[in-house]
Amino acid sequence: MRRALVATAFAFIAGPALAHPPPLGIPGFLGGLLHPAFVPAHLMAIAAFGILCGQHRVAWGIADLAAFAAGLAAGLGAIAVAYAPQWAGLALLVLALTSGVLAALAKPLPPFLGLALAAMTGMAVGLDSPPDTIKVDEANRMLAGTALGAVILFAVTRELSARLVQALARPWTRVGVRVLGSWIAASAALVLAMQLSR
Amino acid sequence: MGGFLGGLAHPVLGPDHIAAMVAVGLWGAFLGAPAIYLLPVVFPLVMAAGGVLGILGVPLPGIEIGIASSAVILGLMVALALRPALWIAAVLVGLFAVFHGYAHGTELPAGADALAYSAGFVIATGMLHLCGIAFGLLARWPQGRLAVRAAGGAIAIAGLLFLGRLAV
Repeated sequence: MRRALVATAFAFIAGPALAHPPPLGIPGFLGGLLHPAFVPAHLMAIAAFGILCGQHRVAWGIADLAAFAAGLAAGLGAIAVAYAPQWAGLALLVLALTSGVLAALAKPLPPFLGLALAAMTGMAVGLDSPPDTIKVDEANRMLAGTALGAVILFAVTRELSARLVQALARPWTRVGVRVLGSWIAASAALVLAMQLSR
Repeated sequence: MGGFLGGLAHPVLGPDHIAAMVAVGLWGAFLGAPAIYLLPVVFPLVMAAGGVLGILGVPLPGIEIGIASSAVILGLMVALALRPALWIAAVLVGLFAVFHGYAHGTELPAGADALAYSAGFVIATGMLHLCGIAFGLLARWPQGRLAVRAAGGAIAIAGLLFLGRLAV
C-alpha cells in the first residue's frame, strides 16, 4: 500500500522531473550521483557556495558542511514524500547569484549567514532533484546518489577554494576565486532575469 | 550552436566585442594593482546588470555605437598611456560593460540551456580580458610597453572602423 502511495506521488511530480532527466541517460544511483554536477543550476549554486565557504573556512569550520547536508537531507526527504515545488529552480538561481556576489566581494561574513545559506542551498538542491522515474526502488537509489554527489561536489569545491585562498595565499589565487564567483553570479543573474521576465 | 559552446563562441565571433574586451584587459594591466585585480571581478557583474536591462526590454539607446566607441576610447587610453584615478577608470569601463552586457542579454536564447549558454559567454568574456591582461603585462619592459601601446592604437583604429561601418 505504502509503495503504491509513493509511486502515485512520484507520478504526480513527473512534470518537473522532466526538466532535467538523468545525466548522460544514466539511471539509478550513478545517475543521481552525477546529477548535481551535470545540471547547470545545481552545479553553479553548489560551486558558488563552495567557493564562499572556502573563503570563510577558518571562521566557519565544518558547520557549513553539516548545515548543507542537513538542508539537502530535508529537501530530498520532501521529494521522497512527493513535495516538489516549481520554485526550487528559481531558488537555486537566486542562491547562486547571492553566493557568487558574496564570493566576488570577498568580505568577512558572520557564521549565521553562512549556515543559513548552507541550509537553503542544500534544501534547494534537494527540492529540485526529483528522480525521473516512477519506480520506487530506482527513485530511492537516485535520491541517495544525488545526496552523495551533492555533498562530494560541495566538499571538493569548498576544499579547492580554501586551498587557493589560504594555503597558496597568493594575490592571483585569491582573485581567481573571486573571478569564479563573479562569473557564476553574472550567469545566474542573466538567466534569473530571463525566467522572471516571462 | 546552443548551450555552453554556443555561449563560449558568441563573444569570440564579434570583432567589436573582442577588441573592447582585450582593450579592457590591456588597460587593467597597464594601470597595475589594484585595477588589474578589480577589473576581472567587477566587469562580469556590471555586464550582467546590462544584460538584465536587455532581457527585461528596458530601452537603452545607442548600444552599437556604445560598443564601437568602447574600442575607440579604451584603445586610446592604452595608446596614450593615460592613468586616470581608479574610480574614473572603473566608471568608464563599467559604462561600456553595460552596453556589451545589454547586447548579450538581448541575444540570450530561451530554453533549458540558457544557463550553460550564459556561463559560456561570461567565461569567454573573462578569457578575452585575461588575453589582454597577459599581453598588457609586457608593459613592465620598455619594448613591451611600446608593443602594448601599439596594440591599444590598433584597437582604437579598429573601433573607428566599427563606428564608420555603423554610419554607412
